[in-house]
Amino acid sequence: MTSNDAVLKVAAALEAASIPYMLVGSYSSNMYGVARATQDADFVVQLAAPAIRELVTRLGPAFQLDPQMSFETVTATGRYVIELRDHPLKIELFLLSDDPHDQERFARRRQRPLLGHPVFVPSAEDVIITKLRWSQQGRRHKDVDDVRNVLAVQGEYLDWPYIHRWCDQHGTRALLDEICRSLPAI
Amino acid sequence: MEPTPELIDALYREEVAAARRLTPEQKLSLGGDLFDEVCERMRAGIRAQFPEVDERQVERILRQRLVIARRLEQVS
Repeated sequence: MTSNDAVLKVAAALEAASIPYMLVGSYSSNMYGVARATQDADFVVQLAAPAIRELVTRLGPAFQLDPQMSFETVTATGRYVIELRDHPLKIELFLLSDDPHDQERFARRRQRPLLGHPVFVPSAEDVIITKLRWSQQGRRHKDVDDVRNVLAVQGEYLDWPYIHRWCDQHGTRALLDEICRSLPAI
Repeated sequence: MEPTPELIDALYREEVAAARRLTPEQKLSLGGDLFDEVCERMRAGIRAQFPEVDERQVERILRQRLVIARRLEQVS
């Protein structure tokens, strides 16, 4: 099994269990920016507790889901971790929170093909907004790099008023402006 | 000798131009492909360092090293 096979199997199991989801983290920033190797596949899921059992059944024995939910400090949401028996990729399911931006980015998710199969992903704008927020909370340099790369690659195609609105609310506008200033003319 | 700011910017422009030439579908799958490739190289390194270990142990050491890499990523 490859990393992408595993991601597709989880996406298919979520759909089969009628659990709305989107593929976030570096998978989504890779799509809009400059791709880098990713050892984690992160999903945001709209999950009711009983559905987790159905998901475990649908995933089968190759996927080991820890039924104990933990709390993730950077994103401030609950999460489930899935380990693969025969592959070192780590898959995390983050619960959709009540946070207004979390709700809006989930409503704006769209389908894009992964190896020919449509999977739900966030918009480029929402990748930027979210990663700016995480970088501020978690001080993770890779998030700043991902934001810089998405800004550089997408440039004029971005919905800037939407980005500015959320960054103003999150207090990340200064960081956004700093990253924009650091970009060479492309 | 340190690279000049002009060289760093020129290399970054090339990187961005290369990313723009790929389709979203290609880039969506690339992170997973790169990780699989990295794992293969790490396995080769582990086998070279510990020629006596079997494949199950290679996988165990690989996972240990990835845990360390994740921790380093979190604190960087």
